[in-house]
Amino acid sequence: MHRRHLLLGALSSGMAAGWMPSAWAEPLCRRAGLQARLELVANSFPVMQHLARQAMACNGGGLNVNVKLTSRINYEVETAFASAGKSPFDAAVVSASVFSDLYARSQLYPMTDLVRKYGARYQLEERMLVRMDGEVMAIAFMQNTQNLYYRRDLFQRHGIAVPTTYEQMLQAATLLRAKEPGIANPIAQTFAQGWDLATEFTNLLFSMGGRFFVPGTAEPAFNSPEGVATVALMRSLLPYMSPNALSSNSDDVMNQLQQGRAAMGVLWASRAARMDDPSASRVPGLIDFAAAPAARPGGGSAAHLWWDGVVMPRNGPAQREATFQVLMEMLSAESTAAGNDLTIWVRSYYKPGRTGVGVERALAGGAKVWPAEPFFTLAHAQVGKVLADAIKGVRDPAQALAGAAAAYRLAAIEKGYISDGTRREVGA
Amino acid sequence: MKRKSFLQFSAPSMLLMLALLAFPMVMTLWLSVRNCTPQMALVTVQQTGPFGAASVTTQRAKVDASGRALQDCKFVGLSYYRNILGLNKTPADREAAKAASASDDTAAATGDGHNEFIGALRFTLLYTLVTTPFILAGGLAMALAMNHVTRRLKGLYVAASLLPFIITPVVGALAIKWLFRDDGLVPHLLQQVGIQVFWMAQAWSAQLLIILYGIWHVMPFAFIVFYAGLQGVPQDSLEAARLDGASRWQQLRYVTLPHLAPLLVFVTLIHLMDAYRVFEPVLVLTRGAFTTSVQYLTYSVLLEENNAFKASAAAVLTLIGIGVLLIPLLRRTWREQRGTH
Repeated sequence: MHRRHLLLGALSSGMAAGWMPSAWAEPLCRRAGLQARLELVANSFPVMQHLARQAMACNGGGLNVNVKLTSRINYEVETAFASAGKSPFDAAVVSASVFSDLYARSQLYPMTDLVRKYGARYQLEERMLVRMDGEVMAIAFMQNTQNLYYRRDLFQRHGIAVPTTYEQMLQAATLLRAKEPGIANPIAQTFAQGWDLATEFTNLLFSMGGRFFVPGTAEPAFNSPEGVATVALMRSLLPYMSPNALSSNSDDVMNQLQQGRAAMGVLWASRAARMDDPSASRVPGLIDFAAAPAARPGGGSAAHLWWDGVVMPRNGPAQREATFQVLMEMLSAESTAAGNDLTIWVRSYYKPGRTGVGVERALAGGAKVWPAEPFFTLAHAQVGKVLADAIKGVRDPAQALAGAAAAYRLAAIEKGYISDGTRREVGA
Repeated sequence: MKRKSFLQFSAPSMLLMLALLAFPMVMTLWLSVRNCTPQMALVTVQQTGPFGAASVTTQRAKVDASGRALQDCKFVGLSYYRNILGLNKTPADREAAKAASASDDTAAATGDGHNEFIGALRFTLLYTLVTTPFILAGGLAMALAMNHVTRRLKGLYVAASLLPFIITPVVGALAIKWLFRDDGLVPHLLQQVGIQVFWMAQAWSAQLLIILYGIWHVMPFAFIVFYAGLQGVPQDSLEAARLDGASRWQQLRYVTLPHLAPLLVFVTLIHLMDAYRVFEPVLVLTRGAFTTSVQYLTYSVLLEENNAFKASAAAVLTLIGIGVLLIPLLRRTWREQRGTH
């Protein structure tokens, strides 16, 4: 019922955008008479399930498309694209972060010629093309960021302004805890040890004025006074969060917000639509979205901008044309329109609903683009390992960050980003 | 002739074992002493995309004429092993430590002696040593209880008891996580009687949860093995013991248990190996918070650092750990085998 509703809405908005529904009945890829057997790989988000269905709608005749949805996309893609033989995947859907790694290792095949040939047919827009020195290396179709989710009703009832800094957020939390007996832990945020916690640290560190690396090198710089201040800020949030916070991932945070247990928190913008799902939320329509607060007054919104897009491996170019056409079918205007509310699309005629305003708000709030250094994931992983203890006060923050920096250096040496013993310069 | 038929019978399984066990193991050993990295060069790239244009200074792999990335491969000896065990310091680390000791900040520069592997080993051993006796005792109790269940209920009893063992570990761990998370059934029920526990918030409860999961998941295996063993306990010995006035406990102690001894060793052996490789509950329940296991460490090296060489070294260390744990049991089995021949 819900899905049919969505589809009808999407169809009508699609028609308004000027395309004919009859064209959708027979995908272009099928009419093109392609002969190929294609393997695609993507992350298992809900929006990817939708896109996989679109790609597999091309199946028939001589075309056989298979889409593998996995939760270990980084590892699978990086291993496949690095293999000495032919990549088992003809194309992959990756995040900007994985893209940086693949690009740095020269493992991507440019798509410039294909864009020139098919761009007009599939209405590709310049903003979708990720160009590196002019060559199209990826085609971005969705974007994501973190937003402040907050209970509009409670904020209005107590006359609280939407926080623009973490200091204001803590004040709001103190007030709500005192005045709303049902809300013992007003803040819910993805503080699960590891990737989630390191991502929060990254968001806050940049807003705090810190940085991850010494400019122009792969040498760590997060073990700094700003890093310590970031840990202190994260520690100050703990008393307002569930005591289970250090194992709360996005699902847990979403659950706390949906159940009305928490009144605010920074969470992925792509989760917004599910706040209004009456089958999962006790507070549909009551949660609003704003730019994530800044770590300090004057700092930019403590969030990062992400994109997801399609890439093709250097070691699998045999069926490039067929692969590209299937990818374009998957990302067509019709497909985007049919999944309008599933994510925040890059296409200009995407119609953001109430819950699709995240990226726009983050951009206005001054959020930065997610770090593109290929060695960033290594530093991020090491930070994720030590932060929980540092935030709980089990380890001294400066020592914990220094430990992470030392472990990162070792990992970066092992991966060839820092030469052993001496610094490798990567920029002026 | 005898030797020839022996070879004919055993060759297929020997070949399979060579291909599926020995070869991967040798490969892992070989990987663990090597390192390959792309040859990186500094580049400044003009990047445009959904969020506008920017000039990015970063590293990029050099490529050969065919566009393939150039690699540097070298033998690194035991360097990964030393890194994992926290014994290695690069020249830069030593330099930093020297500089830091001058400024009274030695601990910070050397990473305050915190070693991940030792932490992981500590929890893995705790898990292994705590779960094993509970699984043996619980499995035995379930098997003995089964002997007293009426024939009609036996099917139901077996099905219900085996369920935790049949369920995929990740699914089982997820079910347990949902029972214990915020607003889960268990915290909710405990709250009704005035007890408030946040299970993932501190070391003891997170570790307890994983240990409870381990016992819950593996006990049915011990149960079914012991139950099969109980069917073979010689009834005449039991009857003789009864006639001699042995109590129920004495019958169990002097007749049943000696009969089950090889099975006790078998279950212990299998569980020690499995427990030392505990992974799924750590991944699902806590993601390593307070409870990193040796196997989880290997996984995180492989996936987060994306370093198959170092992960191989971690895997070899795990293997050595299992070997050490099994030595007493293997020695016992070896002696018994020799005794019977």
